[in-house]
Amino acid sequence: MQVPAALKAKWFWYSILSVVCMGGWTLLGKLGTTEISAPTMQFLYPFGWLPVALACLWVRGFRLERSLRGALYSISIGVLGGIGGLAFFAACRTGGNTSAITAATAMYPLITVVLAVLILREKLTWLHVAGLVFAAVAFVLFSL
Amino acid sequence: MILPIWFGPAVVVLITWGIAGLLQKLSTNHLSAETALLGLVVGFFLLDPWLYPKESILMYSSRSLVVALLSSLLNALGAWALLAAMKNGGKASIVVPFTALYPLVTVAFAPWVLHEEITALQAGGVVCASIAVVLLST
Repeated sequence: MQVPAALKAKWFWYSILSVVCMGGWTLLGKLGTTEISAPTMQFLYPFGWLPVALACLWVRGFRLERSLRGALYSISIGVLGGIGGLAFFAACRTGGNTSAITAATAMYPLITVVLAVLILREKLTWLHVAGLVFAAVAFVLFSL
Repeated sequence: MILPIWFGPAVVVLITWGIAGLLQKLSTNHLSAETALLGLVVGFFLLDPWLYPKESILMYSSRSLVVALLSSLLNALGAWALLAAMKNGGKASIVVPFTALYPLVTVAFAPWVLHEEITALQAGGVVCASIAVVLLST
């Protein structure tokens, strides 16, 4: 029996690792918020990222590219990610269903697609439009 | 129609992470994935003065603190694995929808780990949301 090519590819297993880690993050995040407040959860958040950040520094040989624009963009991602993380933990603290909260918040590519069309002048395909429709239906179902 | 109480914060997540998605694309035009990840951590720390807890962190159980730190470590590893997948030949159009399916892990394990049940409508919403993520990321 022939093994599918994707199963031999590194990217496939890295993607599996990402899915498992992100899934674990949402489950542990919910568990953590049963006792810890949302702001304190987000306060602790960067400390958990430090080992990975140090590993990245080591991989780069402690040399970083110099781009003010790139740095501003990436720091902005951290700030926005942090505010979003705070809101995610706040949603978990409400006692809402974790599966529904996680699925609803994982639809953020919806906003990215709209912004990419408006700002980067990217074009929407029919698949994207169908995705927008499914996202809208999901919103309605979650709100019922 | 009464919206669930978590809906407001979830909309904030959608907007902030949605904008962050656009900035990810813009930042990696100028920086490597590793350097961009370091900038992200700097951004996280910039918020910390405003989030500094009024109460001592030690008032929380060590179990909750370990769970919180493990949660963020897993998130960082997940972000790194996504970037590593792209670096190792994965196409963005395949890797992004693939990795955005993490709610399926949550849905699969929430009944066991968190003892939560999902309603039929919510299950339908999860399916629609998963399809939407795949279609939007193609």
